[in-house]
Amino acid sequence: MTDSKYFTTTKKGEIFELKSELNNDKKEKKKEAVKKVIASMTVGKDVSALFPDVVNCMQTDNLELKKLVYLYLMNYAKSQPDMAIMAVNTFVKELATSPMTKDCEDPNPLIRALAVRTMGCIRVDKITEYLCEPLRKCLKDEDPYVRKTAAVCVAKLYDINAALVEDQGFLDQLKDLLSDSNPMVVANAVAALSEINEASPSGQPLVEMNAQTINKLLTALNECTEWGQVFILDSLANYSPKDDREAQSICERITPRLAHANAAVVLSAVKVLMKLMEMLQSESDFVGTLTKKLAPPLVTLLSSEPEVQYVALRNINLIVQKRPDILKHEMKVFFVKYNDPIYVKLEKLDIMIRLASQANIAQVLSELKEYATEVDVDFVRKAVRAIGRCAIKVEPSAERCVSTLLDLIQTKVNYVVQEAIVVIKDIFRKYPNKYESIISTLCENLDTLDEPEARASMIWIIGEYAERIDNADELLESFLEGFHDENTQVQLQLLTAIVKLFLKRPTDTQELVQQVLSLATQDSDNPDLRDRGFIYWRLLSTDPAAAKEVVLAEKPLISEETDLLEPALLDELICHISSLASVYHKPPTAFVEGRAAGARKSLPARSNSNEDTVQRVPQPQSQVIPAQDSLIGDLLSMDIGGPSVVTPAPTSQSGLGLDLLGGGLDGILGSNDPISAPAISQTTTGLLGDIFGFSQAPTSYIPPKVNWLPAEKGKGFDVWGTFSRKNGQISMDMTFSNKAMQPMGGFAIQLNKNSFGLTPAAPLQVGGPLNPGASIETSVILSTAGAVQRMDPLNDLQVAMKNNIGIFYFACLVPMNVFFTEDGQLDKRIFLSTWKDIPAQNEVQYTLTGVMLTADQVVQKMQQNNVFTIAKRNVEGQDMLYQSLKLTNNVWVLNELKIQPGNPNVTLSLKSRSVEVASGVFAAYDAILHS
Amino acid sequence: MGGLLSYFRNLLGSREMRILILGLDGAGKTTILYRLQVGEVVTTIPTIGFNVEQVTYKNLKFQVWDLGGQTSIRPYWRCYYSNTDAIIYVVDSADRDRIGISKDELIYMLGEDELQGAILVVLANKQDMAGCLSVAEVHQALGLDALKNRTFQIFKTSATKGEGLDMAMDWLSNALMSRK
Repeated sequence: MTDSKYFTTTKKGEIFELKSELNNDKKEKKKEAVKKVIASMTVGKDVSALFPDVVNCMQTDNLELKKLVYLYLMNYAKSQPDMAIMAVNTFVKELATSPMTKDCEDPNPLIRALAVRTMGCIRVDKITEYLCEPLRKCLKDEDPYVRKTAAVCVAKLYDINAALVEDQGFLDQLKDLLSDSNPMVVANAVAALSEINEASPSGQPLVEMNAQTINKLLTALNECTEWGQVFILDSLANYSPKDDREAQSICERITPRLAHANAAVVLSAVKVLMKLMEMLQSESDFVGTLTKKLAPPLVTLLSSEPEVQYVALRNINLIVQKRPDILKHEMKVFFVKYNDPIYVKLEKLDIMIRLASQANIAQVLSELKEYATEVDVDFVRKAVRAIGRCAIKVEPSAERCVSTLLDLIQTKVNYVVQEAIVVIKDIFRKYPNKYESIISTLCENLDTLDEPEARASMIWIIGEYAERIDNADELLESFLEGFHDENTQVQLQLLTAIVKLFLKRPTDTQELVQQVLSLATQDSDNPDLRDRGFIYWRLLSTDPAAAKEVVLAEKPLISEETDLLEPALLDELICHISSLASVYHKPPTAFVEGRAAGARKSLPARSNSNEDTVQRVPQPQSQVIPAQDSLIGDLLSMDIGGPSVVTPAPTSQSGLGLDLLGGGLDGILGSNDPISAPAISQTTTGLLGDIFGFSQAPTSYIPPKVNWLPAEKGKGFDVWGTFSRKNGQISMDMTFSNKAMQPMGGFAIQLNKNSFGLTPAAPLQVGGPLNPGASIETSVILSTAGAVQRMDPLNDLQVAMKNNIGIFYFACLVPMNVFFTEDGQLDKRIFLSTWKDIPAQNEVQYTLTGVMLTADQVVQKMQQNNVFTIAKRNVEGQDMLYQSLKLTNNVWVLNELKIQPGNPNVTLSLKSRSVEVASGVFAAYDAILHS
Repeated sequence: MGGLLSYFRNLLGSREMRILILGLDGAGKTTILYRLQVGEVVTTIPTIGFNVEQVTYKNLKFQVWDLGGQTSIRPYWRCYYSNTDAIIYVVDSADRDRIGISKDELIYMLGEDELQGAILVVLANKQDMAGCLSVAEVHQALGLDALKNRTFQIFKTSATKGEGLDMAMDWLSNALMSRK
């Protein structure tokens, strides 16, 4: 016998059997077969080979069979993309309103909805285009269930082929559904739209909500299902009302949702309210009542099952950080119950610390003390740590906290003692020279410390207070015996502590310090330890005084809340309340793939807070000039016919004053400055500036400050800035803001080589450290004596800024007008001959648009910026101005302006030997004349 | 004898005859299907996929499959060949340009093993259109002369006017009855 028998089999196999059953004429048999197929599919067998046969069962009146086939189709369409096309006609038939079947379309809305849902799940590119027509009809179906399913289908389609959805106008249809009469349809349309907006590649929402649609959503909110409410609330959270009143009315209408039984609805409502409260004035009564209303629903969430509690607690943790007021009276609900799961316990503890205040500290402390005697080690540790943090946070009760800690140390429970020592170290940092009396108690427990962190903390304490501990040398020496077995953290700390001891008591510890230095530098292969050892060694051997200054330097105070989230992150997370992001405390971009491009949410700016930005921007001159006129009129008691008659006078005066005094006290003469000066120089020159009217400088054009270094790129260091020319000097005016958690200091600035040789004439001066949340104004005077390197564009400037956090680089554009020097006035004849000398190819033309000024006003404005008018002619109703200016690098620029009265377009012809400055000069003209 | 058999078949409840309607896109297959089923002309859109309907003609039950004729769908015709009793091949008599393609598809199809026993009815459709090919010309163009071992017949029809379909169906039912 050959072995060929093994290759032939009488069994045709399961697939074959199923295939013949599927082609059976009997409907019952067919249905049985499809069920078998689905069963195989469900357990993971590959039955994709049956695709054509299953699809052929699709056209049936039997709803059960149809559902089974659809299930199969959704699963395998992707693996049989070509064959999937055979299914299209069936969908079309079921959904179409015109052709073929007797009754035009399937009369059963459930079947239509089923078809449209399945259609959306068939993710095959080739067939999506065939599905547009049926989908369009379904979006207008008379049955709400079909419409709502179709709305969801649009979102699915958008995921497959975004361009198709946009081209086919489905977005508009979806938007129309927002005003559907059926709330379920509205809710699903909202859900689909928010999904589409989030997936939008530009990160910009594709469909913006307006006040009308919001109103419709709010109406639907009361009538739809709980999950529909969640969708609606979530999209309300993405809407920014245009004013306080609108925000307030939205708040009022969603407040009832806070009483909903579904936790998701409650949290979504809380999210919207948290967001809208940002817009409202925080002192208003309305915000006050809203704050009160927010507490009970949050408290109620804590009586649900532990998992929900945990989610609620993570969200509450954010809310408490943003608005501590909401739950300040609710401390008790965060007290830990003995049967809480550990994750709930730890989270509650965290919130307890955040809520701890002078008012409730006694209660909190007694609770924490109790927790510290529980059995769960992790929890006990955290409780002990919490006591320490309370001591740091609530200053007046630090003493009670410390004594509680001491009580706990007396228990001699190993891990309690260790944890206590770690936090006591922090307390010493926060309150120096206050509780050192307890050091002796701590020293008693020296032998029990076996964790690196606790050992390191203890060593730090000994080193820091070496002068008060008589036997500090002995204690440290005892640690030194097992130096090599210690954790790096402990080794480093021990090294530093012994050096401190030596500096404090040099006489009897010389041997000890030599020992530790040699241990660290010669017997260790840890580079950090060796480096630190060498540095100390060198410091001590070269300059002990310097060593003292370095090692025993005064330490900065530690912050009260060390584990607060960065404000920017917190704001973003507030926008994601009731989502995974708020549980993780991470922005969605950090854990959702492919969402990098998505829009980052941020809290709306408080409506009155734009004042800040307005104040920061120097007032445009257009507001000042009319005032000048009126003032001149008042002073001289003149009847002013028109501004053009009068304005030239002060201009020439101030121009003259400028030349003679170089920007001295001509303000008094010019009489125009006392008004403009205070408008801008308030912050810098103060009262003196007001009195003397530090002239000229403010009247030249200063562009509004722009954000050179956004906080997210500068690790919280935020820089806004602009350039100005004052008294013949270029100044770089900046506003620094600290949006990080720690104070900033040690600011310095450097400029890269640039086209005009800009370089700081003096180092950057910033008065004192910049505290978190604070802003500071500063200016650097720049000279043009630095190294020159041609940049592109010409006025590009690359800046490096340094502070104690790091070095940051950014680039900015220097407005050309700061390079216009005060001696840019050419003699008429020289102007004429120069104009002729410069070849025609060095002439550039430009049209200034939207200039609503007379020729005289142009003359005046440009003169304030060191552009001097050499001559003025009137040719055929047109005013011709001839102007000259000189750049700091001695490049002369000659301009001819054609101004037609009543025509906002001014033609500017420029001639210069270095014609590459043209675009910068044009930009400067544009900016100055539109200021 | 065929008569006797069919008599018993009728008594036992006859098996449904499986019929495929094939042809190039736009030949009128879907219109013919619904003309047969409902007796009316319905507006149709191109069939991306298939239609399947029960048609009863003179006490005979047919399960009629109308398959889309687009180039992209033609490759899937073969999935429907097994157990087919008859093929109705529809030709657009007015589409002189593509009659050659129609012929190729027909020849290719008839070569399939699964269709060796199937009866063929060719419908030269759209006879109402001006300037269309005559039945003889269609017969010629499809190369039906060369057909061997095949029960087949060609009819001129106009699906929209309802002409010629009855004749074709009469012939087909007789042919199917007498076959067994």
